[in-house]
Amino acid sequence: MNTPADGDNGDLRYAEYVLGVLEADERAVLERELAAHGAAAESEALWRRRLAPLAEESVPEAPPERLWLRIRAALEFDAAGSRGGSLWENLRLWHWLSFGSAALLAAACAALVFVIVHRPAAPPIPYMAATITETSGQVGWTATMDIGKARMIVVPAAPQAVRPGRAPELWLIPEGGRPMAVGLISVRAPVTLALSASLVSRLGPTARLAVSIEPHGGSPTGQPTGPVVAAGEIGAAPAGTTPATALRLVDPAQRPI
Amino acid sequence: MNDTSTEADTLEQLLARTAMGDRAAFEQLYRRTSPRLFGLCVRMMRERGEAEEVLQEAFISVWRRAGGYDPALASANTWLTTLVRNRAIDRLRQRREDARVDPLELEHLPEEGAGPAVHAEASEDYLRLRRCLEQLDAKYSRSVREAFFTGATYKELALRAQVPLATMKSWIRRALMQLRTCLET
Repeated sequence: MNTPADGDNGDLRYAEYVLGVLEADERAVLERELAAHGAAAESEALWRRRLAPLAEESVPEAPPERLWLRIRAALEFDAAGSRGGSLWENLRLWHWLSFGSAALLAAACAALVFVIVHRPAAPPIPYMAATITETSGQVGWTATMDIGKARMIVVPAAPQAVRPGRAPELWLIPEGGRPMAVGLISVRAPVTLALSASLVSRLGPTARLAVSIEPHGGSPTGQPTGPVVAAGEIGAAPAGTTPATALRLVDPAQRPI
Repeated sequence: MNDTSTEADTLEQLLARTAMGDRAAFEQLYRRTSPRLFGLCVRMMRERGEAEEVLQEAFISVWRRAGGYDPALASANTWLTTLVRNRAIDRLRQRREDARVDPLELEHLPEEGAGPAVHAEASEDYLRLRRCLEQLDAKYSRSVREAFFTGATYKELALRAQVPLATMKSWIRRALMQLRTCLET
């Protein structure tokens, strides 16, 4: 049973794992292999595709409507503002401002920056920020949006490498809407992207940013086609990034100090 | 706002948009897939209250883990089925540990699990798998189905079938090898 996962015997162990007949300790061993070896994960995925259709032998049955309401409640979809608990995200102000004009939004951002950085001497600067976190939990990129100049700078933190011939593409997802392409970004260098008026008007704490892996040159369809590797909500600047450092990257002349 | 999702969206597209935090896409994904997935939960848990809890936990994981879905490895259906089934298996194992149930007393499944609704909507993949299962020795296919729907380990399956552990292992392993060969042709 505990032979290395190679050849026929190895492949059968993935089948046993997928079927669920292994004891907890054997499952744990296999899970470590799956995490470490791409080939193992592919064999396992093949067995999932082979066996999952057996689920069709159960009789479909609509769950009661209360179940959806419970899921919504558990995910706090109905909470005012947004998920998360920061001051920035909880300000009810956002709730109606997100439907208002870009100018109002910009003014509100300026006010919030003022509140958050406690720097009364600094001039009000309209900007927003997002931490774009990879599915592993690692921060992939930080994005800073300069509303006044309608542009966004996306700085890589420690994103996963991208296969040759592929490129990370940034998307803005308005709540309830389809992803809107923002532009191609880089895993190595900061990139500055111009924002169309349509994108600027949708920036706000109900919108999210996400990164998908696309063919070189960007998604051919205008919608994400590859796996989504990172996402983040628009809101306060990440810990350790002050408005000053973020803005210095955008434009040295805009430095608030 | 702008476009909303339509019936034409594939489950894969809905899952990709869910990964980006799109709640409307997530709701549509739930509406489209929950009857089938709830049926699986009911079949596995044999109790509607617990089936509801499993499906709730599973969809909360869908929202949080949709970014980990890789369309190159599995269809959205396969990914969702696997996620739901794993939650159900965890629960079933917990239930057995809590109750210290003698595996011999555990429920046995009907011989052929196909329900009345299956044949009208059955996928090509299912029909192929079923043809291959039909070619197996009856005790092999019964053991595979029992493992799939009850999350029983080799040890539990052997106790239920009242055969030595080694015998159950060889039944299942032969069944899996034969299925692999059959599905590849």
